[in-house]
Amino acid sequence: MQHILPHPTSTASATLNRRGAFRRKLQTSMAAYGFLAPFLLVLVTFTLIAVIYAFYLSFFYVNFGITIPKFVGWFNYKLIWYDLTHQGTFYISLINGIWYTAGVVSIQTVLALLLAILINQKIRFKGIYRTLFYLPSLTSSVAISLIFIWLYKPNGGINYVLSLIHIKGPNWLSDPTGFLAHIFAPHNGNLPYILAGPSTALIAIILLAIWTTAPTFMLIYLAALQDIPDSLYEAARIDGANEWQLLRNITIPLLRPTTFLVVALGTIGGFQVFDQIYVMQGPGGGPINTTIVPALTIYNTAFTNGLTGLACAEAVILFVVIFALTVLQRRFIDTSIQY
Amino acid sequence: MTTTSVSPSTAEERPQIAANDRRQPRDNGELLRAVLLYGLLTIYGVFSLIPFVYAFASSFKTEAEVLHTPPTLLPLQPTLAAYQTIFSSSNNFTHYILNSFIYATVAAGLNVILASMAGYAFGRMEFWGKNALFGLTLAVMMIPGQLIMIPKFLIANSLHLTNNLAALIIPNMVAPVSVFIMTQFLKTLPRELEESAVIDGASRLRTFWQIILPLVRPAMTAVALFSFQGAWNDFIWPLLVMSSPQNYTLTVGLTFFAGVHYTEYSLLLAGAAVNIAPLVVLFFFFQRYFVRGFATAGLAGR
Repeated sequence: MQHILPHPTSTASATLNRRGAFRRKLQTSMAAYGFLAPFLLVLVTFTLIAVIYAFYLSFFYVNFGITIPKFVGWFNYKLIWYDLTHQGTFYISLINGIWYTAGVVSIQTVLALLLAILINQKIRFKGIYRTLFYLPSLTSSVAISLIFIWLYKPNGGINYVLSLIHIKGPNWLSDPTGFLAHIFAPHNGNLPYILAGPSTALIAIILLAIWTTAPTFMLIYLAALQDIPDSLYEAARIDGANEWQLLRNITIPLLRPTTFLVVALGTIGGFQVFDQIYVMQGPGGGPINTTIVPALTIYNTAFTNGLTGLACAEAVILFVVIFALTVLQRRFIDTSIQY
Repeated sequence: MTTTSVSPSTAEERPQIAANDRRQPRDNGELLRAVLLYGLLTIYGVFSLIPFVYAFASSFKTEAEVLHTPPTLLPLQPTLAAYQTIFSSSNNFTHYILNSFIYATVAAGLNVILASMAGYAFGRMEFWGKNALFGLTLAVMMIPGQLIMIPKFLIANSLHLTNNLAALIIPNMVAPVSVFIMTQFLKTLPRELEESAVIDGASRLRTFWQIILPLVRPAMTAVALFSFQGAWNDFIWPLLVMSSPQNYTLTVGLTFFAGVHYTEYSLLLAGAAVNIAPLVVLFFFFQRYFVRGFATAGLAGR
């Protein structure tokens, strides 16, 4: 700025110039907030106030639309503590949510990366493959759930395909036996809930979720892969690296920031799963609660049992769990890139 | 005549083809790699497509054929019976479709306009509080929807928005991710664009409308498609705010319909097809915009 001033040493003109800069910034800011106004209005009303309101209501006894909020201190949190220590519904739904999220995130992240690497090769009909792969992510979870109610039935399409290779498929949607209970206690299935593992019914939904969301993350990986300079691979090839070494030492390390994003978004999404289970198993998360997840419990607490404040406290606990996991993942996955 | 015209060209092309052949599978290893690559691609492609093809084909079967084992892939006696049943006047399907269509198109249109405006401020203007607000925009994308689901419903209710299409549209009319995508695109345009316009004395709004917006059509298309897809597939929010059946969206209507007709699979499949078809058509025509949108949305992690 200084070089255009006629007298850089003159304090008067410097003040004038500073005033000019101030006025310009003021004008720009006013214009900018004009452009931002609708967005900020929605953001403040339906997100920021909502977040504060959720924390606030978690300290109240409220039956929405029926009672006036009554301050109850930590009472809702004490109820949750009681539930957690006595294997109540929220406890069961958290365990199910952890199995679900761990299963979905671990497999879909690897699958998404593999699919992205496949599509990123020099191949013909790249667009066609990408379209085909993306189809399950494009469609609504409700429509896909309706299709899979039919495909998962005991004599449905999936068990028919399994029977072709001489596997007797399970009763996908109504078998409550835990995966680990199947292995370690095949006769009575008596294992503590936390050790029994995800039920067949929950595994059916985990597999469905991987199939539907992996392609979304594939597209994110694909975009990141295309940003890795070819020269890196060429240099490594000249040094005699094979394909596996290229993947291990160049591709995977350079994709770390994307992997963090994919894992974090997967975790946030995993703990929020609602649609598929509501449609396929109903709000109760059957069979015998083995597919109930935190989102369903919060929904039931608020809208079936009318305990709005308790539901908000449950949501706060869920938020804390997700937040802690995201922070841990950030620590665990080094996101700094070194070329 | 055909022979005379064809023979010289083939004679010319032949060496080229031979050269191409030599360039492709250089040795057995490369051939094996190609077979493996296309094999895997085809297997996963079929894996992604088959449930849809099978379900779509089965929506034209009689209920008896849908239940039959071993299953048939294509209908033996194609029938529209399932579609006639779901569109019979006692079910509100035409209402559901209309509601979903209004929700999705209006939300898409508003997201394009309002996110372009916000993206213009974030991407091309220096103002007080810019970094804090943009950081906030990124941060709220990580807030789990369950945390705010109940208060959001209470707020919508106290604004008298519930059981009304406005309840669907207003909270979703400008999503943070739309703003993020527009900001990233607008940032990349050269500075000189506005400088020349300001010298001409054009106002900011006119610059935005006449110079900037026409240059970011691909980003606007991506935002429109994402918003349309999000609204069309939205389930939990319409489930919460819509209480009377004629106001249900297609996803909610389908779910309650499925609750009543849980074992009439041909009806479920026809309903699913009605929900899926419009998106498949949109995606088929605009897929490169979807891909570009994801490329930008993925940048949020860096």
